[in-house]
Amino acid sequence: MADLAQPAPRFREIASGKLGDARIQGALDEATDRLMTNRIAAWAGLPGVEELRQRAHEIRMEVIDDLDGHVARFTDALEDRGGHVYFARTADEASAYIADVCRKRGAKLAAKSKSMASEEIGLNAALEAVGVTPVETDLGEYILQLAGEHPVHIVAPAIEKTAGQVAELLSAVGGKWVPPELEALTNAARTQLRETFLEADVGITGANFGVSETGSVCLVTNEGNARLVSSLPPVHVAIMGMERLVPTTVDLAVLLKLLARSGTGQKITVYTTLLTGPRRPGETDGPEEQHVVILDNGRTKLLRGRYREMLACIRCGACLNVCPVYRKTGGAAYSDVYSGPMGAVLLPLLVGLEQAPSLPHASSLCGACTAACPVKIPLHELLLDLRRDLVAEHVAPWWERLGFTLWSLAWSRPLGYRLSTALARLGQPLAGLLGPGRVWSRGRKLPRFGRRYRDRR
Amino acid sequence: MSLVDDFVANAEAVGCHVHRGAAPELDGAGVSTALYGLADTGSVVLAAAPDEPRANSLLPDVHVTLLREDRILPGLDELFAALGNDLPSALAIVTGPSRSADIEQKLAVGVHGPREVHVVLLSAG
Repeated sequence: MADLAQPAPRFREIASGKLGDARIQGALDEATDRLMTNRIAAWAGLPGVEELRQRAHEIRMEVIDDLDGHVARFTDALEDRGGHVYFARTADEASAYIADVCRKRGAKLAAKSKSMASEEIGLNAALEAVGVTPVETDLGEYILQLAGEHPVHIVAPAIEKTAGQVAELLSAVGGKWVPPELEALTNAARTQLRETFLEADVGITGANFGVSETGSVCLVTNEGNARLVSSLPPVHVAIMGMERLVPTTVDLAVLLKLLARSGTGQKITVYTTLLTGPRRPGETDGPEEQHVVILDNGRTKLLRGRYREMLACIRCGACLNVCPVYRKTGGAAYSDVYSGPMGAVLLPLLVGLEQAPSLPHASSLCGACTAACPVKIPLHELLLDLRRDLVAEHVAPWWERLGFTLWSLAWSRPLGYRLSTALARLGQPLAGLLGPGRVWSRGRKLPRFGRRYRDRR
Repeated sequence: MSLVDDFVANAEAVGCHVHRGAAPELDGAGVSTALYGLADTGSVVLAAAPDEPRANSLLPDVHVTLLREDRILPGLDELFAALGNDLPSALAIVTGPSRSADIEQKLAVGVHGPREVHVVLLSAG
């Protein structure tokens, strides 16, 4: 599976590189501003948006309250339509099943549509290991695959790449120089990927939603690649996080109204596809065989605890665009898959806090993420809870826990408070040279400690 | 405004060409018949069927879809109410031509699917 574990120093190391790169800072500013502004305008144009967000939250929690029941209903409904359902407890089980589907068909080429779940399970490496070549067909993901990189944003995966870099990558594939102009680049990618769509033995997609009652998989794209991938190859495999179910198509409509508006600011994406089983008698195209892999990979751990609301996430990316941390660091610092506030909450829950101890700190706790979340997940509160767990579970280092214990003891009494500020004034010249003060002041100026709180500069 | 006027305004806003009555002569275009139209978003709803292959609206550079005016619904809620649970193997809600903003956040049209979408409105009856 993809390595979701994030050792403590990783965030700071990668973020420092991004912070020092003026071009990447410009690209991040532009992309996050545009997506955020579009979302705000789209929400403003949607009558009753607050009621709709509340309804969306309720629909998602209804599913989470009875997830086993929904998985069973979805499975029955899809099997009635001739589809195959496989429940994968782990990333490796999911990859192995898909590799097996490919092996049975003697597949050599798999066309893939953008899927965060497939990134999560490290599917591409697993396919290559059994001799299947996976080709990403989302334009951004295709560019990243050629570059050997990972997505840095859920809905805009390649925002850090320039037209010049894209031109070099596409020129190398076709063996013909492609000028770094939008139309030429788009046409080159269209031509290169069209062959993949037509020749692929297997099409692999994610799933934005599954509908429990009908056994349908809903896919949302602007490019149309998910439609091609799920229509042309003889086999279609969809990988769906187990929490992506909604009870009925009526509920699906509520979420669809919020998803595109929150992700890109569109009322609806160009292609919204609802697939219910394989091709039916008399139809001349569509897959002969359809598989849906329902992925647990740590999600059931969240079902009963206080982090269960995180399972309501619909992966729209709105929280990334408003986050003052993400907007500066970009996505790579968080992980190769999920990033921003949703990633900072989800990753430690999936892999364990000790495997991602820096992520709960990748937040100013300003609450912009919570305000932007279309399904009302209290993201910044969950991040704060995770920080509490870091201390309670002794994941935080002993000196950090000791420091905060002493601080809280001192500041519970007026005398302790006055003593501590007096010490701070004495220690002022050293504060930027030692320990946390040194790290903190690397990119900032330490404030001067005043005699009284209001004297602080 | 009527549903039809709403549909036309929203379909044109997302980059569709809307025609009334007569289909344009377009070489090599893929032709489909829309099951429904959605006024709210300017979308056409295509259902896979033996005489409605998926490829018609996917592979050609130009996609022409025929839509009866009395098949235009207000939006998604009405669509799923009308469909009930008897869903086709593939239902596509198509809203304008294929697009992407993956290269430097700039809008490119026609990445994978059709570069042009023409909607021909047919009067009811």
